[in-house]
Amino acid sequence: MTTPALLRMTAPLREDFEIPYHDIGDRDLNPKLALVAGIHGDELNGIFVLSRLANFLHAVSEGRHTGQTLTERVIIVPAVNILGVNIGSRRWPFDSTDINRMFPGYDAGETTQRIAHAVLSLTRPAYYRVDIHSSNSHFEECPQVRLYEPTDLERTTAHLFGLAAVIELRMNKAFTTTLGHAWRTCGGENFVMQGGQATVLDATHCERLFRALVAFLYRTGILRGRQLSAEDEDVHHFRIGQTVPLISEHAGFFVSRLAVGRWLQAGDVIGKVYDGFDGEQRHEVRAPMAGLLSGLRRQALLFEGDLIARIQSRQSLGEGVDTYLHGQGQ
Amino acid sequence: MATHDSILTLELPYRERLELRRTSFDGGPNGRGPKVAVVAGIHGDELEGLYVCHRLAQWLEHLAVRQPGALRGRVELYPALNPVGIDTLQRFVPVFDTDLNRNFPGHREGLLPQRITEAVMRHLESAALVLDIHASNVFLREIPQVRINQEFKTTLVPLAQKMNMDVIWLHGALTVLEATIAHSLNSTGVPCLVVEMGVGMRITPAFTEQLLIGILHAWQALGVLAPDLELPALTHQPLVADDSNVHYLNAETSGLFVPEVEHWTSVKQGERLGVIVSPHEGGEQSTVCSPVDGILFTLREYPVVYEGSLMARIMAVDTPASAAVPS
Repeated sequence: MTTPALLRMTAPLREDFEIPYHDIGDRDLNPKLALVAGIHGDELNGIFVLSRLANFLHAVSEGRHTGQTLTERVIIVPAVNILGVNIGSRRWPFDSTDINRMFPGYDAGETTQRIAHAVLSLTRPAYYRVDIHSSNSHFEECPQVRLYEPTDLERTTAHLFGLAAVIELRMNKAFTTTLGHAWRTCGGENFVMQGGQATVLDATHCERLFRALVAFLYRTGILRGRQLSAEDEDVHHFRIGQTVPLISEHAGFFVSRLAVGRWLQAGDVIGKVYDGFDGEQRHEVRAPMAGLLSGLRRQALLFEGDLIARIQSRQSLGEGVDTYLHGQGQ
Repeated sequence: MATHDSILTLELPYRERLELRRTSFDGGPNGRGPKVAVVAGIHGDELEGLYVCHRLAQWLEHLAVRQPGALRGRVELYPALNPVGIDTLQRFVPVFDTDLNRNFPGHREGLLPQRITEAVMRHLESAALVLDIHASNVFLREIPQVRINQEFKTTLVPLAQKMNMDVIWLHGALTVLEATIAHSLNSTGVPCLVVEMGVGMRITPAFTEQLLIGILHAWQALGVLAPDLELPALTHQPLVADDSNVHYLNAETSGLFVPEVEHWTSVKQGERLGVIVSPHEGGEQSTVCSPVDGILFTLREYPVVYEGSLMARIMAVDTPASAAVPS
């Protein structure tokens, strides 16, 4: 069978190109689930995980995994920004457009509006929709489900992935042009997943994300049969007001030995800021409260007004705490 | 005379500081008039506004010598809101990789781009008029124009009429981005006009002179300049564009777009405007024709196109276009 493509396009000098996707399961059914990654070409974890998942689901649907059945139709787009992937670029490389700021798109508009329109058209009929991201190249996120002002149904369903953190954030003015936001007008249930750091393929994060997606497939009945992995992490649900960004008041070189996804006590050292010229330690960054370290800076070069870490508190710290922080990496 | 200061400085990782610099001209004892401001360089690859700031500074310095009492208010110039972007030829805020004009109104304790926008908003609070000057991008050349959100047209169109621009373009509310400086200022009651002209990474001195005259007239009308100060006469009357009369020409195929008409000319329906060719073969891949009688007010400057790339915008006009276009 030929690989379907959600868009075919001419190119100025190269061969014509297309954005391929996987269409797995009974094509007479309406798709139950659409999975999208690689809207940013440098976010490799999601692309890799979705390619592996497609590989697995093709094998199931072709009867090569005895005892496993795919009961629904699943659409998988491992990478939307294919030209970006090929040169490691976050944006659509030709005009530096962020495809995740072009939704809902327009089929007679700019190139990236056409791409956005095609992605939305393909995924609209699905009931569940998941967009997978990997932060940016400066910041690492622990594998998590992100919810932006969700429905109660989405709040409950988000736990089916079995990831340690389900994090609710406020819709941001800058995010009204994302795929995740465009999906909200299509009904169904919609999720954003975050895991790892752009430009890095992290095998541990990938394994977590893969297991989370497989767990979701079983729990929603899309996959039936002997469960391949049952062990779950404890799921913690963080509402608005429970996300605390640590923003630097000092510039310099930031150094940390911590891993994301660990729990911190108030006062724990997160990292240190050094003067890059004379080597003096200028500041010690400590956790202002206990919580889950959901994200951590990986780029050493630190500006005044830079994001160092994000901590998920068990207690609500009030509505205003994260309102000014433009989310990164989505 | 001019004073120079920084409204914000932020530490960079290695020894340097980001400085948001301002040049101010004050009317002194006579200066009871309002404050006006010009901001530019929000996008590090747009340079037209930087040159406009230079010309305004030059004009105001001469005025201070020639007619010291003629400045009745206060003028603030902010030529580079994205100073590191300007210094390193990057459209967005370097490292943060974010569009500064999607980070308004900002926050004092937020990320660096939000600290910049918060400081800008705070300093422009009491302005009677703010001009935000843009220079398109590196792909498209724009005729001097003011862009206005329909929501604010009652206040802004009369101001824009005096700006000596060729076009006033009214945008529907749906296409307006809330996190821009213009929307943020206008929604807090500070009138802000967005000027678009020229092309990224270039300056177009003729456009600068055209806008300069318009700015001076607008300032005089607001009482920033003495009413009896003689100014160069206005040379342009704007045509009004909106969502109903602007037509977009997007590339049907990929290749090299070669225009066959000049920017800002009147065109007839069906008239050939250009062609898309391939460097691999001799034929034409696609011909680009005008869908309407009108005026070509946006023209692609960068030849390579992908399917969908914008090549031109045409404003349909009922009257014969030749009558509306200044010779």
